[in-house]
Amino acid sequence: MRSLPQADPGVPDIRGPLRYLWWNARSQLPSLLAGIAFAIVWWLVQALVPAVLGKGIDAVTAKDTGALLTWSAIMLGLGLVQAGSGIMRHRMAVYNWLAAAYRTVQVTARQAARLGATLPKRLSTGEVVSVGNSDIAHIGTAMDILLRGTGAVVAIVTVTVILLSTSLPLGLMVLIGVPVMAVAVGPLLKPLHRRQNLQRDLTGDLSTRSADIVAGLRVLRGIGGEQVFAERYREESQRVRHAGVGVARVDSLLEGAQILLPGILIATVTGVGASFAVGGEITVGQLVAFYGYAVFLIGPMRTLTEAADKLTKGHVAARRVVRILSIEPEVSGGTGASKGGVLRDSYSGVTVRPGVLTAVAAATPEEAITIADRLGRYADGDVTFGEADLATLPIAEIRSRILVADNGARLFTGRLRDELDVRGGASDEQVRQALHTACAEDIVEALPEGLDAEVAEAGREFSGGQQQRLRLARALLFDPEVLVLVEPTSAVDAHSEARIADRLAKARAGRTTLICTTSPLVLDRTDHVIYVEDGRMVAEGAHRDLLVSSPRYAATVTRGED
Amino acid sequence: MAREILPVADERQVRAYARRLTLRYPRQLTVALVLHGLAAVAGLAVPWQLGALVQTVRDGGEVSVGLVVLGIGGFLLLQSVLIRYAVLASARLGEKVLAELREEFVDRVLGLPLSTVERAGAGDLITRTTRDVDSLSRTVRHAVPETLIAVVTFAITIGAIVLVSPLLMLPMLIAGPILWCATRWYLNRARDGYLRENAAYADMTEGLAETVDGARAIEALGLHRRREQRTDDDIRGSFGAERYTLRLRTIWFPAVELGYVLPVCATLFVGGLFYTNGWVSLAQVTAATLYAQQLIDPLDRFLMWIDELQVGGAALARLLGVANVPDDRAPSATRPTGELMEADDVRYAYREGRDVLHGVSLTVRPGERLAMVGPSGAGKSTLGRLLAGIHGPRTGAVSVGGVPLVDLPLDELRGHVALVTQEHHVFKGTLRDNLLIARPGADDTAVRAALDAVDSLDWVLGLPDGLDTVVGSGGLAVSPAQAQQLALARLVLADPHTLVLDEATSLIDPRVARHLERSLAAVLEGRTVIAIAHRLYTAHDADRVAVVEDGRISELGSHDELVAAGGSYAALWSSWHGAPTRPPHEPVR
Repeated sequence: MRSLPQADPGVPDIRGPLRYLWWNARSQLPSLLAGIAFAIVWWLVQALVPAVLGKGIDAVTAKDTGALLTWSAIMLGLGLVQAGSGIMRHRMAVYNWLAAAYRTVQVTARQAARLGATLPKRLSTGEVVSVGNSDIAHIGTAMDILLRGTGAVVAIVTVTVILLSTSLPLGLMVLIGVPVMAVAVGPLLKPLHRRQNLQRDLTGDLSTRSADIVAGLRVLRGIGGEQVFAERYREESQRVRHAGVGVARVDSLLEGAQILLPGILIATVTGVGASFAVGGEITVGQLVAFYGYAVFLIGPMRTLTEAADKLTKGHVAARRVVRILSIEPEVSGGTGASKGGVLRDSYSGVTVRPGVLTAVAAATPEEAITIADRLGRYADGDVTFGEADLATLPIAEIRSRILVADNGARLFTGRLRDELDVRGGASDEQVRQALHTACAEDIVEALPEGLDAEVAEAGREFSGGQQQRLRLARALLFDPEVLVLVEPTSAVDAHSEARIADRLAKARAGRTTLICTTSPLVLDRTDHVIYVEDGRMVAEGAHRDLLVSSPRYAATVTRGED
Repeated sequence: MAREILPVADERQVRAYARRLTLRYPRQLTVALVLHGLAAVAGLAVPWQLGALVQTVRDGGEVSVGLVVLGIGGFLLLQSVLIRYAVLASARLGEKVLAELREEFVDRVLGLPLSTVERAGAGDLITRTTRDVDSLSRTVRHAVPETLIAVVTFAITIGAIVLVSPLLMLPMLIAGPILWCATRWYLNRARDGYLRENAAYADMTEGLAETVDGARAIEALGLHRRREQRTDDDIRGSFGAERYTLRLRTIWFPAVELGYVLPVCATLFVGGLFYTNGWVSLAQVTAATLYAQQLIDPLDRFLMWIDELQVGGAALARLLGVANVPDDRAPSATRPTGELMEADDVRYAYREGRDVLHGVSLTVRPGERLAMVGPSGAGKSTLGRLLAGIHGPRTGAVSVGGVPLVDLPLDELRGHVALVTQEHHVFKGTLRDNLLIARPGADDTAVRAALDAVDSLDWVLGLPDGLDTVVGSGGLAVSPAQAQQLALARLVLADPHTLVLDEATSLIDPRVARHLERSLAAVLEGRTVIAIAHRLYTAHDADRVAVVEDGRISELGSHDELVAAGGSYAALWSSWHGAPTRPPHEPVR
């Protein structure tokens, strides 16, 4: 069993869901074929047990101890082969399941990283998360069922051949009976699925409700309302209960049918077999074997029904994955180069001069974000970087030279130090400096493991203000040629905000920095302020000068007080 | 994985609870078990008939094909009908018990002590309400009935063999030690193995979700390689865990399969010998051999579900554990006289030996508006929680009307003081529902007035469904700022005499926030308001300002007094205004 994951998942075939599944199957063809071979052996051995049992009964009837010993030993041998091939089949099934699921995770994650800023615009998080929650499992299961399904077909054919060769009418009975029985439960499946869907929806609602209660527990315990919510939960819980009973109503019918339908076949085969046995056409042992075959066939029959269901689900899952894999990034880069210099957005008139701490104060937060997105080439725009048109530069180069740090940028799970120093290679002193600048030292100090602490998912153990300061430290350690900070201190208290602004000016001395903010505490500590209204620059100068010269600027940054 | 903060019930509690739960509906349980038992008996009739048939054929007796078909078919029909009702009956019972289980759990969650709720955060509790409830559902829906059926069927099949021939029971025993030893070995390792497997799998899917959610940050910071690495590492972790459990199964599966097949071979062989010696009849050998084969199914079911029972048990332990949180307050009978809020030499530590408040004393006069400012981590929020009665101080006292806040019963406490933090939550439901939490009996006029007080009435009335608009998960998206406004409106409805606002307007656009705070102040006229703020105009608008630094109140007084005093507050204020300390009421030039 080769270790997973594969270093390179390869290039998926995204021309359609079936092609994607086929691509997966091809990528793991050796293990798939090996698994199918084991599954065939496993089923075949089981199919042979009734025959051997029949021979054994015949030996008993004949009181032939030697033959009895032989057939008992063969039976034991079959049992051992079944156990051996069974576990090998299982191992290969698990391996194939995992290989397909892991490969899908790999290509989806790589695609998400490749799409970058395009992804949130084109897909809801829920859509992609459902890939992780269910689709990869369905794709894995589709591979798994190929093994057992193929084996089941072989087993059914084998038993039919044995029966046909022993007795034509009995063989035909089974040959026709098996598919009929498999189809006969069909009418029950539709209502079952409908009820299961209802139950799943209601269960989903119920867990949303309980998650809602937990998320709002502070509020409920703080100002009351527990009783109301307990009542509501109870109502929904009872609805789930009734939906569950509704499912059981159909499901129990199916359970009954799955005994009754093969039962008809078993009864008929045994009855006809009995008449042959009385007529001396077959031995009593063969009669027992016929009964055994009919009972055995229930297994592979069920597997075929299961296979149809699982392959359908795998197909649906593959379609969703293919859709995600087909999306292309929105902005594309060129092959040009730039020596750097003035970064200028001609629409707004915002000019970021090298080595200067510039601020953009916009009348509304959206205007500032739009400008920052153009400057960082997250959106198309007429932007120049030094002599060059920004659009002609390769995207990767722009990303490494111009960093737009906004408040949506999440912190990733991992060791805090690694998550702050994402480029790697910063010295302890540089990390300490960045934390100092961002006023984030107290956050690290409060952690028992300090910088070695693991950041939980999305940094959720940190408050909004703490996350913001950590993000700022991360942006500073990234140390880009041009740093664009969007509202970097909006969730920080006034004391810290003033300190951060002071330290930021020192930390970025000689580097190019643009801060989008309306906080006077920060604006006061920048070199140059550009005031933007309706997306265009209307005034620029030093903060204190603008306060005097532009009443509208003053009103924006001091929130119209006094 | 989320940190485990809440307690977990011990094995004794889980057992006692499971027993109580099982016996809560003795009648339904009996019906389900009897139906399953009868179904098993009906299933056993067929091999017995076959045995008799073989005997008759051997003896050269008359066989009517019609009777054989009817006989076998009849019993199978009976079995399928019994199974139908047995499955339905146990599902009914299971769903009923399951509903009670989760409802009791939610009741327990809703009764968690305030201080625990504040400290525990959502992670651990969310895991319990979602994943543990799910896995318990699986156990109750499938594992419990399957194992019960298996046990019943197994017992009855064994009974049938004994009935056919006690002698032929002997070869069965050969399987016992093999199954027992192999399964014991497996179960000792399985639970941890599967827990690790599930955790590793969850890490992988969470990692994928993180990559998706943080796609823009990945692009911005050039983290592609790193995320690829992380994905591959997660997969490697998952594969390692899978490989471990697969190894366990690689040993266990063949061992139990051997345990299944051995009795069949042994019964056939030994039975054959017995028949040769004339100790048993051919019918007995045939039936017993077929029974030995039929034993495989219930045994297999039992063994396959037994570890799921363990998983369910672990989930149950975590659900029950929530009830083990000790209550954080022992209400005394004394009731406050008046509304004077006092903190006297208060110290508080989250971790032993590390006080975050060092002897804070503060008197808040009824009707006063007090603003607290200071750097992050100085202890403002901690002091706010103490003033709201959520935690009790380590030493010193926080009292209202002369009674320590933590000595008040929760309902009483809520009538005095309420806390609103910057954490905002909109419940799934209508806007009206979201507000009525605070005062269930309030009419629409009161609700509108509360919305008006937080500048949200126009927004709400502008919605197509007005107050009946469904919000929260799946409903209309409410921005964080609007959510904060709703939280404040709730507070207006609750109407305690003292309000602690911990950065309660931090997410609202500064230009809007100021107006909101002023209209709120008008409604709250006469109420005591303690506002923790990071925006200076909040302090400017307050009656008094307390500057909290390093767990102490370093400056206390009105805005003008503090500005005049020239301390750290004054320095900030001047920076805010971009001018040397200037009287606040002078118009901007």
